[in-house]
Amino acid sequence: MLPGYPYSIVNFLHYLFFYLLFSLPLTLSYRNTKVINFAHSNFITYGMYTAVFLHGLLGNTSLLAAAAAAFLVGGSMALLNNIAVFRPLERRGASPSMIMIASMGLWIMYNYLLYMLADVAHFFSRKNFVSYSKIAYSDVPELSIAGFTLSQSFVASMLAALGLVAALYLFLEKTRLGRAMRAVSDNPVLAEVSGIPRDTIVNLTWLIAGGVAAVGGAVWTCFSGTITPQSGDAMILQVFTVSFIGGLVSLLRTGLGALAISFIENVGIAALNTYLGVPTSFRPFLTFATLLTILIASPPLGAAGGLPYRFRRRRG
Amino acid sequence: MIDVVGFLVSWLTLLGIYSILALTLNFESGVSGVTNFGKVLFYGVGAYTAAALTVYLVLILNGFDVTKTPPYSVEGIVALGQLAGQNPALNLALFALSLVLAFLAAGLLGYLLSYPILRVGPAFVGFTLLSSGELMRIFLQHFEPVGASKGLMSIPGPFAWVPEPRARELAFLGVVLALLALTYVVLDRLVNSPLGRTLRAVREDEVAALCLGKHVPRLKATVLFIGSGFTGVAGALLAYYLTAVNPGMFVPAVTFNVWAMIILGGMGNLRGSLVGAALLTLFDRLLTFLTPQLGITVISPDYVRWFSVGLLIVALLLLRPQGLLPEEPVRTPALEELEVALRGGGSG
Amino acid sequence: MASILEVNSVSKRFGGVVALEEVTLSVPERGIVGLIGPNGSGKTTLFNVVTGFHVPDKGEVWFRNQGGMERIDGLNPNEVFAKGIVRTFQVPRLFKNLTVLENLLVTPWNQLGERPLAALRRGWEREERELARRAIELLRRFDLLPYANTRVSELSAAHIKLVETVRGLMTPARLYLLDEPAAGVEAGVAHRLFSLVRELREREGLTFFIVEHRIEILTRYVDYLYVLHNGKLLAEGKPEEVISDPRVVEAYIGGG
Ligand SMILES: Nc1ncnc2c1ncn2[C@@H]1O[C@H](COP(=O)(O)OP(=O)(O)OP(=O)(O)O)[C@@H](O)[C@H]1O
Ligand SMILES: [Mg+2]
Repeated sequence: MLPGYPYSIVNFLHYLFFYLLFSLPLTLSYRNTKVINFAHSNFITYGMYTAVFLHGLLGNTSLLAAAAAAFLVGGSMALLNNIAVFRPLERRGASPSMIMIASMGLWIMYNYLLYMLADVAHFFSRKNFVSYSKIAYSDVPELSIAGFTLSQSFVASMLAALGLVAALYLFLEKTRLGRAMRAVSDNPVLAEVSGIPRDTIVNLTWLIAGGVAAVGGAVWTCFSGTITPQSGDAMILQVFTVSFIGGLVSLLRTGLGALAISFIENVGIAALNTYLGVPTSFRPFLTFATLLTILIASPPLGAAGGLPYRFRRRRG
Repeated sequence: MIDVVGFLVSWLTLLGIYSILALTLNFESGVSGVTNFGKVLFYGVGAYTAAALTVYLVLILNGFDVTKTPPYSVEGIVALGQLAGQNPALNLALFALSLVLAFLAAGLLGYLLSYPILRVGPAFVGFTLLSSGELMRIFLQHFEPVGASKGLMSIPGPFAWVPEPRARELAFLGVVLALLALTYVVLDRLVNSPLGRTLRAVREDEVAALCLGKHVPRLKATVLFIGSGFTGVAGALLAYYLTAVNPGMFVPAVTFNVWAMIILGGMGNLRGSLVGAALLTLFDRLLTFLTPQLGITVISPDYVRWFSVGLLIVALLLLRPQGLLPEEPVRTPALEELEVALRGGGSG
Repeated sequence: MASILEVNSVSKRFGGVVALEEVTLSVPERGIVGLIGPNGSGKTTLFNVVTGFHVPDKGEVWFRNQGGMERIDGLNPNEVFAKGIVRTFQVPRLFKNLTVLENLLVTPWNQLGERPLAALRRGWEREERELARRAIELLRRFDLLPYANTRVSELSAAHIKLVETVRGLMTPARLYLLDEPAAGVEAGVAHRLFSLVRELREREGLTFFIVEHRIEILTRYVDYLYVLHNGKLLAEGKPEEVISDPRVVEAYIGGG
């Protein structure tokens, strides 16, 4: 029997769903656009706050409505980033590092813009938006399976994550646009794939990436105890590590990464806690250790502008 | 009445510390292309090394049992306050020792951390360093011997025995500026040498540099050692200047502030970093000075300030990526030879 | 004559593409050897295998050092460089934000001033001046001197290609692998380039292995020629014989 059963297992699945929602769009955006987007966590946070503002200011209790709005918000942010910042930089021939630094600048901007928005919203509504508690939605059921109650957020994140995986699969494998998208990621210099300009595909990628991550954020609001403007950033270690396991390009391996990190953070820490007395606050260190182990043991060679060499004798 | 001298002294001291950060970050990221998003890690390690070393040694050498009166307890803090000004030689010796150890601790950490990230692209480097910084902060928040989330207080400065406050501040400012000058000279020599040229080549195209025989990983490790070492010194200076350290001082925003400085000043140009640091610290000071006057209450001025830092980075990269002072060719005697050749070529 | 480089039945494939199949060839010491073949025949891949850029799936690469032959496949590119093999890239990989002179000066291996402590203490200036004079000499030869202080990103494509080759010649290596040095370069300049190759061979005993599509220029300077076709060695021999070989003519006319 696993330690912490059954909560560790439920949490493991729960976080797996969230990591899929957060990390798959990150991998997708890198592999199609070759931009390393540090502002990715903003999509998540803004998704959360779309739901929070809708709830706090307009009294919305439909998660579906919140998620739809979040998709629009996250998607337009990502599009705006691309049109106003990434694309002009690329046109000018800026190096990938420079574009990454620009994304870091965007990250800071969005972060504090949100704080300002929360201040303004507070001014009008007298509600505390800098620390907002969990939202109960009216349109998500709780499920009971074999005497086991699955919470609202479990159901919602499961539906969203499985829906995302299915939709991505169908889109990339079965549609012309999806196949064009794959061709772009395989050969980034192609200006046009099967009649579709590269720009269109890149814009579409951003829309999807920003939108999906924001939907994940919206779902998060019925899970997390408190939501703060830092909530998305608090997960950046996990989200990026999961994508790094996929080498930032493979969606399948990103999925496996989500599985691995969620397992380590829930079942793994529970086991360590039970047998070795490691405090559960040690969790991020475990994730970080995983990240370092991966970087050392099987570095994503050549990925994202790195050297394609390991600096070892490569002959057996 | 505005205290102009007081303003200048405190601004220059902070400027000196920030300038060291900006110079080293420029050396690492602007010149060598190691995208260090974890500056604050090495800054914090330096600060905590100096702070912990000083408070513990002062107590122990004065016969305190630190297991009973740890430096973060109330009695410890009181005792430190009383002992601070009593033994000038001890204060100065501890200060010197701290600077050396802060350099080594931060430098070695940079060297070690370079190992997992040498083979991978800038995204991984930036991200790994960023998260290391955050983890250090989380660790410090829970680590009791350095005061956990309260941190360490009442750190005896090198000139705590000087009775006159203004003289004390001036003496400390002198030390800061001397160390800044040292950092500048060292980095300037490195940048304007064949090593600096090779580092720039690595920044431009790692693979091509490798094919020209450059040991890219070793070069990057060296860069991180040197850059982080001086960053550690800056951290130590900060600890003595504020006479306190706590985990809240080492948030990622500090790193991004320094990034804004080097992008504003011009990446790859060391003098630019000084200009960038001066402008941004001045902006900070003015903002703290002005906001009470403006009477804005809805939005916290802190948010506006940090938002502007992000905006500044993005706007500069879009509109003036070379910064105020663009990068200059590497200054070596080769330029003189070229001068001669060009002149000779003109006449002959 | 003793060979300086030996490639023994090297194979390399990328996914489904067979880029090299059982290629065996050798380059004699002090030789100027050409390598031709239609587009995509595996010439650049062969250079990549020799310089450690790629690890061959099969086969070995040997290089002569003081003692005798030494196996070099599987070494990292910087180690191969240190053995004395310099390559240039078909698609130039210059350091874009560095000046032309700086690009040249980066090349020499193990400069004193590249060591951190030496860079701090100084004392590397003499070596630097010598290197600079060598670089200036090379630049002058190819009328590049006026551009010495120009950033590479501001040069024309033809100049970039030329600088790529000249940068390779900056360092005294024992074997130069030049990948299409004459592509996009004026005929007159190309001849000057090949004359310099000749001269370096006569004067300093260096060896050259050159990929080139401009066969009419290449054949006037090389003493031996290999032909690759679809990853396989198709023909070899004296240039005149090879280019009149019906199989070679067929390969070129038939396309890839
Ligand atoms: N890194 C790589 N990944 C995948 N395929 C590659 C790679 N390098 C080369 N190839 C393939 O191997 C084959 C040989 O390519 P190579 O570049 O060696 O040809 P080449 O003879 O140099 O051609 P050209 O005259 O056009 O320069 C081509 O089909 C090419 O697409
Ligand atoms: Mg080729």
